[in-house]
Amino acid sequence: MNKTWIVTSETYLRQAKSWSFLMLILMPFLFIGLTFGITYVATPSKDKSDIAVISQDASLRQSFLKTSGVQTTSKYQTVNAAQDATKKSDINGYIVLKTKNNRQVSAVFHGPNEIASGDQAKIQRFLSHLQTQLNVQTAKLTTKQTQALAVQPTFKQQLQKKTASDKAAKTISFYILVFFVYLILTTYSSITAQEIAAEKGTKIMEVIFSSTTPRKYFNGKVYGVLLMIVTQLLVYLLGGALIVQLAQHSRLTANMWSQYAPIIGKVLHNLLSINMIFALAAVLLYTVVSAFCGALVTRVEDASKASQPVIYLNLLTFAMAMAFQGSPTSGIVTVFSYIPFFSSYLMPLRLINGTATMGAAVLSLIILLATVVGSMWYIGKIYGGLMLQTDELGFWGNLKRGLSLK
Amino acid sequence: MLSVAHISKHFGSLHALNDVSFDVHDGEIMGLIGQNGAGKSTTFHSILNFLKFDGAITWNGQPLSADDYNQIGYLPEERSLMSKLTITQQIVYLARLKNQPANVIKPKINDWMQRFAVKGQPTDKINKLSKGNQQKVQLICTLIHEPQLIILDEPFSGLDPVNADLLKQAIVAAKQRGAAIIFSSHDMSNVEEICDTLVMLRNGEVVLNGTVDGVRNQFGRTRLFLTTDWSAEQLSTLDGVDSVTAIGPNHYRLKLTNADAGPAIFDAVTKGHYIQEFSQQPPTLDEIFRTEAGGVDHE
Repeated sequence: MNKTWIVTSETYLRQAKSWSFLMLILMPFLFIGLTFGITYVATPSKDKSDIAVISQDASLRQSFLKTSGVQTTSKYQTVNAAQDATKKSDINGYIVLKTKNNRQVSAVFHGPNEIASGDQAKIQRFLSHLQTQLNVQTAKLTTKQTQALAVQPTFKQQLQKKTASDKAAKTISFYILVFFVYLILTTYSSITAQEIAAEKGTKIMEVIFSSTTPRKYFNGKVYGVLLMIVTQLLVYLLGGALIVQLAQHSRLTANMWSQYAPIIGKVLHNLLSINMIFALAAVLLYTVVSAFCGALVTRVEDASKASQPVIYLNLLTFAMAMAFQGSPTSGIVTVFSYIPFFSSYLMPLRLINGTATMGAAVLSLIILLATVVGSMWYIGKIYGGLMLQTDELGFWGNLKRGLSLK
Repeated sequence: MLSVAHISKHFGSLHALNDVSFDVHDGEIMGLIGQNGAGKSTTFHSILNFLKFDGAITWNGQPLSADDYNQIGYLPEERSLMSKLTITQQIVYLARLKNQPANVIKPKINDWMQRFAVKGQPTDKINKLSKGNQQKVQLICTLIHEPQLIILDEPFSGLDPVNADLLKQAIVAAKQRGAAIIFSSHDMSNVEEICDTLVMLRNGEVVLNGTVDGVRNQFGRTRLFLTTDWSAEQLSTLDGVDSVTAIGPNHYRLKLTNADAGPAIFDAVTKGHYIQEFSQQPPTLDEIFRTEAGGVDHE
């Protein structure tokens, strides 16, 4: 079997079975689940939020139940029954409908709390419609007169192409992407550098390098970490699809979903595009550089320090992306969007804001991927020397000695 | 056969190895001895291609290829395993890197654990084992794939006599199936006991190279073990006696200035009568090591 693949599978399985990786993947879902659960528990059940409708006029009652749009229950038909149910908090309250002399319609709500403003509007609309019908009947108007009175004013919104929802979608996409990339890079840079630094502090590397070449081992390590990231992304994609399904159908979120569906669609479109390839390539590049940093440490105790240079670099690129978020057309953003390490943040920023063409994105991606391949090739070449150099010579001394070994 | 021909390695101004040459044949055990810093580990690292070096190292007449590394079993000087793995996982992982399928290695693990008297179960994690048992697991990792070239850097270090014997048995068994074996050791008795040949390094240079008996004999039979009622003072007056050391009641070790002095001493001490012991031998490897390895006569 290919030795690179053996190292890849070992690296991947060892990490994937660890509690820290499971927690890393599940944490967002636990957080969303907890939020959802608390909201669900805190929100009254369907019955408890219903309003009973009481009326001597059966047709009026039925009409309200069917057409008012208010969340009602037909279970209670008398005032006493509705009062009891209200006291027991089984329902939100009850509304008593009346028509006086068949000329005026009235409604009185009885309950412990005020009706929601949306429901008040619906009730008002139902009553107005009914009252208009009664008025027309009382006034004995002709059909023409009735039609003339039925004319309503119109109100429309003519929205420009760059709508508010577009802007919101861009802002949300940018923040999700930048924070996601930042967290992923920080997490995996740290995991990679520490794992390699810890290995370097032991002599197991000599045993391994007596079996396979340092290049194959190094590539296997990087691919193992990449598989972990892909696993995390797949779990997020599947989990995200499940959450979308739940959000579309749950009574808690269905309204909100339909309201924000266009924005959510645009955000997903911005994220699940070439931007995701930029994120993956960035992770690969940072992983390679982290492995290099880990290989320069000489003691196991220093493993935690190994990732610091990469984490600071990531912090710098993150800060730059945040600083230029409002000015995607800046010349600095344009130039840095082609420079590896920076391009993973800045080219997606330009793409989201429509200030870069797909051709420019592809060029930036080619430069980024070429840097990944080039650095993997070079670090793979010197990796054996770096890993077997265990004298305490400081950063540059370690590098110099490592380069001289192989 | 492993052939090391004229290899040299410099670290800046330090000459770690200088024109080192030796051969290790199949079915042969070679002891590589020398003081700390003499170049033993650098020699091993050169064979394993961890270092750039001048000279040539070949296996069966060819430079070592990637496939040849599957036939190598290497035990580094400092022991180290992946502490979070179980014994089985560790052995299988390292064996897979030697191109051995897991289903071939797994059934052998129990047998090897018994052979080395490892206290623990194959499912035990490495970090739960004692230091001695971890060392034995590492030895199993080195030998379980039945390598043709075995390189052991200080394999007896830290082993008690019982476990050292178990290791010697495993090394001899590997030799009997035809493996070429090199090991370094500071304990000359182990080298004397199981090695066919030895190479001694001093400051990166070969100072001794040959069979164990051949190396000893080239120093002459200048050690005389004697049981007699003579006193040490009397013995030291004899011609050709350099020094006398009492090693027991009436039991002495004499260092001769010349091996040819032996017959005259025999005649003088026995005067034609029986004595319990008169044994003229070359110096022990330990004595040679003390004399040659550091370039200083410690006696």
